Amino acid sequence: MSDKRTMTLNLNDAEMRALEALCEQKDLSKTAVIRQALRLYQLVDARLASGGKLFFEDSKQGKAELIAV
Amino acid sequence: MMIRRPTRLFDRATDKVVAAEILNEISRDELIDVHLDWQPARLEALKSLRAEGKPWPENWHWDWGTKADNLNFLAYRCFAVECEGRTQGLMMISTIGWRGRIGIQAGKPVLYIEYIESAPWNLAGLVENPQFAGVGIALMQTAIQVSADEGFAGRIALHSLPQSQPFYRRYMNDLGIDSTHAEQLCYFEMTEQQANEFVERRPS
Repeated sequence: MSDKRTMTLNLNDAEMRALEALCEQKDLSKTAVIRQALRLYQLVDARLASGGKLFFEDSKQGKAELIAV
Repeated sequence: MMIRRPTRLFDRATDKVVAAEILNEISRDELIDVHLDWQPARLEALKSLRAEGKPWPENWHWDWGTKADNLNFLAYRCFAVECEGRTQGLMMISTIGWRGRIGIQAGKPVLYIEYIESAPWNLAGLVENPQFAGVGIALMQTAIQVSADEGFAGRIALHSLPQSQPFYRRYMNDLGIDSTHAEQLCYFEMTEQQANEFVERRPS
């Protein structure tokens, strides 16, 4: 993407550890993980706002609806 | 912001390589314009195939206009190949929700090609004398570049219609029929190494 702008992100220790763990697991930079999270949040939020539902499916417990913020 | 990057296509009529451009960030309205530009040629070709009793290509019903709403979201982006003032191919990609399935890259994000198509006049299954070759190659190269820019190291994936599987099998890993896919299509995945080889060789 073009036209990038820089911002400062303030995270507490636990949030930073979670971010670093995701970076390690996904082999991505912090910026890339945050960018992924934003894209996912935007898409899920729009689908929920238009009446969609989000589920996690588990072979043992079946489907559970996820309530997003 | 629209950025144009040079690429090249092969003009089958003249047997010559011609200059073309990759356009990034195709907007929703531009996508609909391309759909309207392609539709008459597509319908004309389908009428000819029907009159001759020949089979239609498997993607005959694709409608880029209906895919345009995806571009309201950051997760989706659309690219085009332009040559001689017309759009010669389109590709829509998604940068979220797809994780590698091959052992070496299992769980790592891959760039997913949602749709990729050449203009109707370039499709061998649709017209007798296709105009340009190399459209799919140019778009796949773009997907690999975007994957690298996103930090995905060139990893890409897609589901392929049966008619296109021999093409993808040359460059990607065929993981067979994906039972989780709505149309039960074959799933293909390209590793970082395969992506590097693809870009270096630049097949045509």
